[in-house]
Amino acid sequence: MTSLHRALAAVALLLAVSAAFVGSSRRTTSGGVDVASLAAQIEHEDDHVTAVELAQWIKDRKPGLRVLDIRADSEFEAFHIPSAERVPLTDIAKMSPRGDETLVLYSEGGAHAAQGWVLLRSLGFTKVYFLRGGLLDWMDDIMSPTLPELSGSAAADSARTAHATLSRYFGGVPRVGEAVSLPAPTSAAQAVARTRRRGC
Amino acid sequence: MTAPFSEFGMLGPRGVLVAGFVIGVAFGACLERAGLGSARKLMGQFNLKDLAVFKVMFSAIVTAMLGLFWLSKLGVLDISRVYLPETFLIPQLVGGAIFGIGFALAGLCPGTSCVAAATGRGDGLAAMIGMLAGVLAMGAALPTFQRFFTSTARGGFTIPSALGVSEGVVVLGIVAIAVAGFAIAPRIERHAARARE
Amino acid sequence: MSDSNPPRPYADPYIAGVALGLVLLAAFVVVGRGLGASGAFASVAASTVDAVSSTSARSNGFFADHLDGGGPLRDWLVVELLGVFVGAWASAKLAGRLRATVERGPRTSVSGRLLAAGAGGAVMGVGAVLARGCTSGQALTGGALLSVGSWLFIAAAFAAAYVVAILRRGAWS
Repeated sequence: MTSLHRALAAVALLLAVSAAFVGSSRRTTSGGVDVASLAAQIEHEDDHVTAVELAQWIKDRKPGLRVLDIRADSEFEAFHIPSAERVPLTDIAKMSPRGDETLVLYSEGGAHAAQGWVLLRSLGFTKVYFLRGGLLDWMDDIMSPTLPELSGSAAADSARTAHATLSRYFGGVPRVGEAVSLPAPTSAAQAVARTRRRGC
Repeated sequence: MTAPFSEFGMLGPRGVLVAGFVIGVAFGACLERAGLGSARKLMGQFNLKDLAVFKVMFSAIVTAMLGLFWLSKLGVLDISRVYLPETFLIPQLVGGAIFGIGFALAGLCPGTSCVAAATGRGDGLAAMIGMLAGVLAMGAALPTFQRFFTSTARGGFTIPSALGVSEGVVVLGIVAIAVAGFAIAPRIERHAARARE
Repeated sequence: MSDSNPPRPYADPYIAGVALGLVLLAAFVVVGRGLGASGAFASVAASTVDAVSSTSARSNGFFADHLDGGGPLRDWLVVELLGVFVGAWASAKLAGRLRATVERGPRTSVSGRLLAAGAGGAVMGVGAVLARGCTSGQALTGGALLSVGSWLFIAAAFAAAYVVAILRRGAWS
């Protein structure tokens, strides 16, 4: 048996010495983009969150959540999403991944934040999202949402009440108007995320 | 890049659980094969007469570590999508020490106590029950220790970034230490067997 | 439950270790995470508290974290640990190593051993909560991933275990 042991040890040492020569196990250096992986994520809509989802995360004090506002200082000071930090895109480009953080970027309409998403993903960040529709969506869905009338259906009404509560939590003023379809949560992503119990 | 499979859409939530079960079966079989379901054998590590725990653990760590490095380097595995446990320096040091005390008392760890119980050992079952009680009690008491529990957080913090060296160098270091340990293990075991109690 | 065939000897630890390493690697490759054990106990503990008092469970961050998945059977670690049971049983059955017994040193009584095992388990439970894992989750998984906290855990756990074992030498001989 010891010749097998020696063989195993030799293989391990060989692989380890080669590893030391190679240095890093990452294929792409900082700033390199694995296009296929990013494209898949974008198609699967794993790249963004809705205003309602973000609001829920903030209210629930989701651990590791960081909300990043990439607009100008003056715009940030005028109004920003509660708990947001101001990080201009040029600073975003210098960030490095730190553990179990979940980053959500937002901009005015979402386009710049989407670009920031690509930057962060190519820097190796994993849990990064951008707010689809940007601050405009936040205003529309959280600060002054238009809620449908009570319909009598238990499920729809409890969703509507939850939405109203969420809006008021952030100091918003819900209005009751014609039936508006509420944004649907990305259920596929949520279902998979639920089975991914983190922990040891 | 095709792995982790679950992150590339090849496995739905149910697939992930099925995979977990199958992996668990293999895990349990390996531990049992190695004899680590026996508290007596496990404790041999501590009187130095039977260093099986060291041999099994470090062979496993080295194998998985080399696998991770090379699968990532070859572009098969996207290692950034593998869950890296967060580091909390002091809680993990203190928790580790406390864990070690319990480990030496029980002669089994959480995983091996399940192996022991599954193969008929009553002490394995007792350890499992104790574990549940301990986790429950500590979990319930956690709010009191919240500040301590979340102190010295470093997020996902790896040895290469802590020491400022490349991953490959750390891999080589660990493999070298493991192989050196494997080389002197027989000598230690012989010496311990000959020494008087 | 006991076998009548003579038990076969254990496997070579290095081979078993490499096999275990491959299982761990398979977990990384297939589901993007490593192995674990103590987390399963945390899930069961959380569900137990939830069954008794849902408000207590939900107001405790630690328990609440383990409650969102739809019950313990949807918790990856619990399902994995069920697999561990099955795999261990099957392996022992094939090797003639199933034995209803309480392993103990020659000078330890059955009840003394069961008490020590239970107490040790409880202490491990406390440590595993603080350290966010145990030998499977932190030492094996975190170790392979080169996590600083995991290697600190390994060092602290083995150092403490050696101290206690030396103080209790004679318990197993």
